[in-house]
Amino acid sequence: MSQELARPAATPPSADAARNTDNLYEVWGDTVDARHLVLAIIVSAIVSLGAYGLALWILDGLVESAQMAKAYAMLFGILGCLGGGAISAMLFKPKRDVVEHVADPAFREQVVADLLKEYGSLGRLEESSPEVLAELHELGLYELFRDAQARQPGAEAGVDSRDSLALSGGRS
Amino acid sequence: MEGLLYEILMALALGLFGAVLFSAIGLVSGTDETTTLAPLTMLVVLLGAPPAGILTFFLAGAVAKHMTHAVPTALLGIPGDTSATALIGDANHLRRLGVPHVALRKMISGGAVAAVIAVPLAVLFAVLLAPFGDVIKQFAPWVFLCAAFTIAYFSAGRWASVLALLPFVLVIVALQTLTAQYGVKLAVSYFLGIAVAPLITSLFSMLAPAERERMRRDQYRVFSLAPDMKGWRGYFPNPLRVINKRQTRMTAMAASVTSATFVFSPVAMTVIMGELIGARIKQAYERLTTVITARNGVTESTYIAEALIPLIAFGLPLSPVAAGPAAPLFNAPPRFSVDTATGEVNNLHNLLSNWEFFGYGMMAVLVAIVIAYPFTMNFAHQAASFVSRSISHEAVIATFIGLVLVVGIWEGGLLGLLVIVTIGLLGGLLGRFLGFNIGVQFMGYYTAVLSVPALIALLN
Repeated sequence: MSQELARPAATPPSADAARNTDNLYEVWGDTVDARHLVLAIIVSAIVSLGAYGLALWILDGLVESAQMAKAYAMLFGILGCLGGGAISAMLFKPKRDVVEHVADPAFREQVVADLLKEYGSLGRLEESSPEVLAELHELGLYELFRDAQARQPGAEAGVDSRDSLALSGGRS
Repeated sequence: MEGLLYEILMALALGLFGAVLFSAIGLVSGTDETTTLAPLTMLVVLLGAPPAGILTFFLAGAVAKHMTHAVPTALLGIPGDTSATALIGDANHLRRLGVPHVALRKMISGGAVAAVIAVPLAVLFAVLLAPFGDVIKQFAPWVFLCAAFTIAYFSAGRWASVLALLPFVLVIVALQTLTAQYGVKLAVSYFLGIAVAPLITSLFSMLAPAERERMRRDQYRVFSLAPDMKGWRGYFPNPLRVINKRQTRMTAMAASVTSATFVFSPVAMTVIMGELIGARIKQAYERLTTVITARNGVTESTYIAEALIPLIAFGLPLSPVAAGPAAPLFNAPPRFSVDTATGEVNNLHNLLSNWEFFGYGMMAVLVAIVIAYPFTMNFAHQAASFVSRSISHEAVIATFIGLVLVVGIWEGGLLGLLVIVTIGLLGGLLGRFLGFNIGVQFMGYYTAVLSVPALIALLN
């Protein structure tokens, strides 16, 4: 069974009028709107500390050991964090454009070039087990690797692989 | 007999709870293991869960998270958590080849195979090491000191990290002295501060004009979500048929080796094992898929072994995982403690026998596989789509800030909160500029708590 791989890629939706990009920042690996971030933190602080404080106040009278009352209050505090997060998620939409598309053939050629650069050689399909070959056939990738392998001895792979590294994100 | 049945049922229930909870958490990228596993395990400990239940909660959570972290890693190209950063390169190659589902399936199958292998091996290694336990306990302060310097040297910062340990430890000792004056003794706050350090540093950076300009973006971030492709039948595909024999063999080998190397960081082992295996396979596609399978297997086996071996053999948190995400299994005052002066321990080490560690460990792994494996196989696309379209990064950050506030206030009031912020800012800056990573920071904490009192005693 060969899978369809070359559906046209959807273009990213262009910025619509309602979208405000004045306050976008990359924080902790993803994009946020600074004003939304401040509001989300305030909401979460109120809900989580509120849940903790309220639970502590109520449980103090109900539970015998003060230590257990505090531990249960923390449980409610953590539920409060999740609640605060859920409210923030409802109030503030993600600052992401999610594009669904299948890699196009040109992209795949570049991956093979990147792999050649990274590994130094693509190896030979003849060395792989029948299971691997069957998998490649099934995915429709057999020809890609066979052709690349044929071109290999004198193949030029002057493609920059930096962009594949950049995808790992800016998380520190 | 009734007591045993109750214990087993509680362990099963807490294991299930951990597996479901952390399967969900694993889907959200950026939910680091330490930030999520440590506080929630601490909570389970403090609420009085039976020892077996604590173990199954932690292990099932860790195993499930390292399966579902494959979803953002394979389908969105963003690492699901810290250990997934080692897999992102391989995952991106497969995604760009148009076969992200292959990356996903191989990763979680490798994880399942490795997790099952790691538990018996970890228990076995622990039993072999146990005779040295008494010696190690006796010299615990010095063992921690040596471990801290070793882990520092092998971090990205090399000698900078080794030297930076001195001021870092000094700050922790100073903060402890300060809080002691007000009758406050903190532990979790230090862990949480270290774990959320990069977030705290980012938020501070945003307030500084020059840094803020650097962080500014003029458009939404574009994520390309890989399309849904189901290439198998049924609900629970056999992991051993998703990966071929050679991949199973390689994963088993990597899992066995990394079950023994428990003192090194999981991310480092994941990278190294991938390189070692990759060098033995010539054909590029086979190499790529085998490496990603084995690497995700290693994220499972290192977590299991690094938590279980020190716990069973010594009861001292002598590995990066034990010092970080698994810390509450060792040290959760007032219930669990490691005595600083005598090296005496009172934690899961004393409460469970070797056979119980093995039995409940296997139970946790199997529960996690039964929950996370079919879920990831069948609903990865829907899950990734939901998370990326509905859960804003603002909400994720706000949740963590809420966690910092609650845990800080809970443990030490305003002082607890200030300690989290201080340690977070210091640790984050040292990590960013010197490569003084999170593992070194945890060892720094243990050096401050265990080695410094011994050093002072020696000097006097």
